[in-house]
Amino acid sequence: MDCSTIRDAFVNDAALPAGEVQDHLASCAECRDLYQNGGELGRNLALGASTAVAFPDDLFGLLEQKLARETGPRAWLRSRPSGLRFLLLLLPLLAAVIVGGVLRHRADLDEYPLQRVLMLLSIYLVAILIALGKELSEAPRGDAFRDYWALLVFALGVPILAAFAPATELSSQAHPGGALGCFGYGALLTLPIALLIWGFDRDDRVSLRTVCLSAAALGLSANLMLELHCGNGNAQHVLLGHASLGIVWLAALSVTRLLTHLRK
Amino acid sequence: MVSVCVARGNPGYIAPVRSDEELMAAYIAGDKAAFRELFQRYSPLLQRAMARDLRSPEEASDLVQQTFLHLHRSRLDFEPGRKLKPWIFTIALNLKREYFRRSKRRHETSLDDDRVAEPFEGPRGQERSDAARETERALRALPPEHREVIELHWFGGLSFPEVAEAVGSTVAAVKVRAHRGYVALRERLGDSALGPDGGDEASASVEGSK
Repeated sequence: MDCSTIRDAFVNDAALPAGEVQDHLASCAECRDLYQNGGELGRNLALGASTAVAFPDDLFGLLEQKLARETGPRAWLRSRPSGLRFLLLLLPLLAAVIVGGVLRHRADLDEYPLQRVLMLLSIYLVAILIALGKELSEAPRGDAFRDYWALLVFALGVPILAAFAPATELSSQAHPGGALGCFGYGALLTLPIALLIWGFDRDDRVSLRTVCLSAAALGLSANLMLELHCGNGNAQHVLLGHASLGIVWLAALSVTRLLTHLRK
Repeated sequence: MVSVCVARGNPGYIAPVRSDEELMAAYIAGDKAAFRELFQRYSPLLQRAMARDLRSPEEASDLVQQTFLHLHRSRLDFEPGRKLKPWIFTIALNLKREYFRRSKRRHETSLDDDRVAEPFEGPRGQERSDAARETERALRALPPEHREVIELHWFGGLSFPEVAEAVGSTVAAVKVRAHRGYVALRERLGDSALGPDGGDEASASVEGSK
């Protein structure tokens, strides 16, 4: 006997063998609660389970109409298995990093310590994988804002910390100019992937969760690409140019929360 | 357990009832009737789960439709050996959370909300309705994490392991949440809800105590 049998008995007002019930109650604090005071709580909860609910007759017909509209490229993309969706998003992101950061690399790359490259690469990749994984996963969604803020701190924090510890002589003598150029470069190479993320998203309306997690993945990829592409280690330049997609993300979050607050 | 049903129009024919997982596998293979059967099995449960929190039945129905639409879109994620029921409820819970996140309407369903249906008739019907309403109010006053577990178990018909899978937690954690919720419910109900049979009778669910 298990808790579901007890629950079903209350709902169906069915009798259970006393010995088996006693054996179960001896080891189950939850079901003991139900039987307290002559089974009052169990019977009251059973009332809720037997309450009738209004249910439209044609609901399946309406669903069939919506299913009939599930055609075209987006319907195909969003119905792929999640593992494939994940790969099909990760590969273009990595390709953008390679095209923008490795093939067009920073002038002082020869002096750039390999250990630092590998460390940053690992940190960013893990964060990108987490952001994409959370966006595409069908797992239960918990406290979304905790995830967003953690990723945001990450997207902004890592490049800024990196800027305070210049890797080469050239980056230590950098100036704040050219931030807009770096922002545009990062955005140009990563933002088309936002369209792909929209295509893969299974929700009918783009949620704040999707916006934030997509921006996290794109911002982190841009950070990584620009770390490899641009040798300017000036903190102001890094904040405005390299980590800027993260800042856009922060602004989107802040504005959304402000609007929500004003609507209340 | 093997269960059977009599096929419509042919009393002599006994067709096996397919499990949820068999139906889902059949749908993935292209059997559209299997999807309809899944809808018939789960839509009332989901409608009940949604209607408890949403202000209108239309909004609840819309979320039920979205749940099945999402199930259709993610059908290729379904792995053999996985149980379907917790998965459907995970989809439904995610959609419901997103709905409330978008509309910020959770708190509109206040403790004074008298939307509890009155399905009971007869001489003791009023007493049973009062008890149901008091229980509903007490449930609404619970912390969401306790309430969610109790509602999934009682009104969604999920076992505790299935609830754990649906909410992404462990069975032990889910049972602790249920226990705390039950204790709080009993405290809140206190003298206000004596139950449909008064409260001085032994439970009618145990053989030998009747």
